[in-house]
Amino acid sequence: MKSMHLELRNITKRFGNFTANNKISLTVEPGQIHCLLGENGAGKSTLMNVLFGLLEPDEGEILIDGEPVKFANSGEAVRRGIGMVHQHFMLVPVFSVAENVVLGFEPTKSFGRLDLEKASNDIRRVSKEFGLEVDPDAIIEELSVGIQQRVEILKALNHDAQLLILDEPTAVLTPQEIDSLLEIMRSLTAAGKSILFITHKLKEVQAIADVITIIRLGEVVGTALPSDPETVLASKMVGREVNLTVAKDEVAQGDTVLEIRNLIVHDDRGIPVVNNVSLDIHGGEILALAGVQGNGQTELVEAIAGIRRVESGTITLGGKDITNNSPRQILDAGLGHIPEDRQSNGLVLSMSVADNMVLNTPRRAPFAKRGTRNLKAVDENAQTLVKNFDVRTTSTQAPLSSLSGGNQQKVIVARELSRPIAALVASQPTRGLDVGSIEYVHKQIVNERNSGRGVLIVSSELDEVFALGDRIAVMHNGKITGIVPPSTSRSDVGLLMAGVTEGSNE
Amino acid sequence: MSISEITSTAVQSIKRPVGRSRAIGTLTLLLGAFTTLIFGLGANSASKSNITFNPTNLIGVIPPHVGDLSVPSKASCLLLGLCIVAIGLETLLRRPVKGLMVRFGGSAVLFVVGLLIWTVRTPGPAPFGSINMTAVLVGSSPLVMVLVFGALSGVMCERAGVVNIAIEGQFIGGAFFGSMIASTTHNFILAALMGALIGALLGLLLSFLSLRYLSDQIIVGVVIVTMLASLSSYLNVQVLSPYPQYNTGDLAPKLAIPLLAKIPILGPVFFNQNGFFYLMIILVGVISFALFKTRYGLHVRAVGEHPKAAETVGIDVIKIRYFNVIVGGAIAGIGGVAFVASYGQFQPGCTSGLGYIALAALIFGKWRPSGAVVASIIFGVSVYLANNLQTYNVPVRSAILQTFPYLITIGVVAGLIGRVRAPAADGQPYKRD
Repeated sequence: MKSMHLELRNITKRFGNFTANNKISLTVEPGQIHCLLGENGAGKSTLMNVLFGLLEPDEGEILIDGEPVKFANSGEAVRRGIGMVHQHFMLVPVFSVAENVVLGFEPTKSFGRLDLEKASNDIRRVSKEFGLEVDPDAIIEELSVGIQQRVEILKALNHDAQLLILDEPTAVLTPQEIDSLLEIMRSLTAAGKSILFITHKLKEVQAIADVITIIRLGEVVGTALPSDPETVLASKMVGREVNLTVAKDEVAQGDTVLEIRNLIVHDDRGIPVVNNVSLDIHGGEILALAGVQGNGQTELVEAIAGIRRVESGTITLGGKDITNNSPRQILDAGLGHIPEDRQSNGLVLSMSVADNMVLNTPRRAPFAKRGTRNLKAVDENAQTLVKNFDVRTTSTQAPLSSLSGGNQQKVIVARELSRPIAALVASQPTRGLDVGSIEYVHKQIVNERNSGRGVLIVSSELDEVFALGDRIAVMHNGKITGIVPPSTSRSDVGLLMAGVTEGSNE
Repeated sequence: MSISEITSTAVQSIKRPVGRSRAIGTLTLLLGAFTTLIFGLGANSASKSNITFNPTNLIGVIPPHVGDLSVPSKASCLLLGLCIVAIGLETLLRRPVKGLMVRFGGSAVLFVVGLLIWTVRTPGPAPFGSINMTAVLVGSSPLVMVLVFGALSGVMCERAGVVNIAIEGQFIGGAFFGSMIASTTHNFILAALMGALIGALLGLLLSFLSLRYLSDQIIVGVVIVTMLASLSSYLNVQVLSPYPQYNTGDLAPKLAIPLLAKIPILGPVFFNQNGFFYLMIILVGVISFALFKTRYGLHVRAVGEHPKAAETVGIDVIKIRYFNVIVGGAIAGIGGVAFVASYGQFQPGCTSGLGYIALAALIFGKWRPSGAVVASIIFGVSVYLANNLQTYNVPVRSAILQTFPYLITIGVVAGLIGRVRAPAADGQPYKRD
């Protein structure tokens, strides 16, 4: 049986003055699942790109079976038996499964003609061997995300990979799909393959890892055992004690503040992706909307915020009909909005922290008077918010692009929560944030609820949904498949996320 | 859930847009109504239209005589109009997702036939009582050929993810230098090589600026066109006007293919052309094969759709883009030579925006060589008719007729007539991180 012993020795990678990886060493034994645990920005992806030949290390060496190797590009890494499943799939959406799997390593007939028949047969053989059923002739974009990931794994196996790098593979999967992925990983190691599993999700690490290496700020800070409790793993990863659960007091539920009735919204292609959705968000409650990405949540939030047209149905905020109002009218009616993509929708990265903190109220007193900006008031406002919301920045006049992702998100949170609002809509409020910032943002959101506002959270992270939600609504394929209490089991919510409702025969 | 179930729900969840079939259905319906009302009801019921098929001023091989076709103008136009209306209604009611372009293209052809029948009705305003179908096709063929060269150039570049809006500039460059070489050496193979070289150099400039410096490809393209247009005017005044021996206007010789050239109608159109025409047909086949059947083509398409994915399997994205843009430029350059080889002297502005129409043909043809050929035929014939229908006393100003190909082009480029999907990374600069 073929297998690979991989060793990284003192890998250092710098980008300008910034050291992304500092003398990182680790060893992956054959048949082992080696877990690389670290927060976003800790340098995990940089290390993997070095290993996969996409980046060249400044120092250090890679040894395969004791022999030092250098990869000029990823094609060479693949030839040496390293396969990578990227977080964002490296699949051409309009190609067939077979075309994607053989890309770069195509079997050919005379005149350089592709031999897709041989490719399909190879795929069928490999997928049978590892229990990864896929139709070689299917077109990628017509497959679900879970199946696309199988294709990525198949692609690596088809190139005879002995070591598989899985970069945050569970971010886009439903709980059931995650289970089936873990199953696949076990069968791969049983066949002698080794796996480097990159993640920041503690539960998965505990479920599958043989060895855990923890990375913080580009350095290896230690190893851990899968049997270590979650809090131990988390504090090693963050570098301090963290509180993983959010304290929530009982709060009396108020009246409905945000009412959505029979909403139909189209996406850019004119396809109805929000299909007859009705929701009520009361004062003093958090409604968490769960669902796999791309099931209409984005469009729903955009419609509430007034940046996407409502085809039919109504949205009422604090008793006022805001359907198809302009974003400004909706903000004035009392909506706080933390958008999904903070860098393109919530902030202007080239502008200062202070300016970003008044983006939604620049024309109002005291920030402007008779059409002229009052820069002093803007800066004073920023000074206060930076202090109150613990935004780490060198100055209130620093460009927002100089802040880390977590601090950028804090700027938005500070801006949205520092003015009187009736309801808060937060879309993926902690995506890409480190554990420390997540803790902070969650606390702020719970504070809003405690002070009687209605909160709608959209999240694809089940941990977040269960931590925050007073009620959990699940969205699948543009429809609400169920509204359940947070005492519901994860697997039941997972089924709802896959569109399986009681009484359906799917 | 088993895998097949997951797959099938995923397939179902991808819905097709309905707006497109509605737009095309409505447009077809309007076209049909126009044909029925204006051409059909507007014709005298006693009028007849003669269609002839015998080439008039052919040089060399002349195919055997074919009889004329005489049809009643009113009845024929009504029939054609109702056919188009039927296609439009079918599109609106059934909302098909495939074959929209085929339906629209078919309606356009029926419309053009109706237009011709109506134009030559006798008694009627036209000075001639007949139209020569073969002459229309032979007359359109050089335009179609030049458009195909341009569209193929676009296919090469855009399939690899680089927008080549400089096709017009490559036409001009190829035409200018091609004419000089042809005039001095009387050798069109040398002229073609010169055109290919000029086009390739312009392609190199485009790819260098857009790949090395990540400049906006559209802007670089427009700059190249503007530069070539001005430069050729200047050189025309400075060189070609004082020394007419460099711009004699030689035409490339027609190379009749034995026997085949004698087939009525088809012979003169397809088998009695100059070498550029045959080269174009070969290129269409070669590029189709290379793009869709070979390893090279898979790499090119991957680079145009998802360059990052291509790079992770060891494909050199930048190299493929350079290669394709340079080869694409060479093809457009040859297209420019083909233009002067079919029409004679180079004159400033002689290509009159054909490069942009080629770009529209590329889009209409869904970034496929075969589709580009079909689109080029539609555009080429419409350009030819717009230029030549005046002689039939059509009661429309010639200037207005001549805007039609450009109106269709705007419609296509703006996505009014059916939006088709470009390669996903088309026009996007690629940077390794």
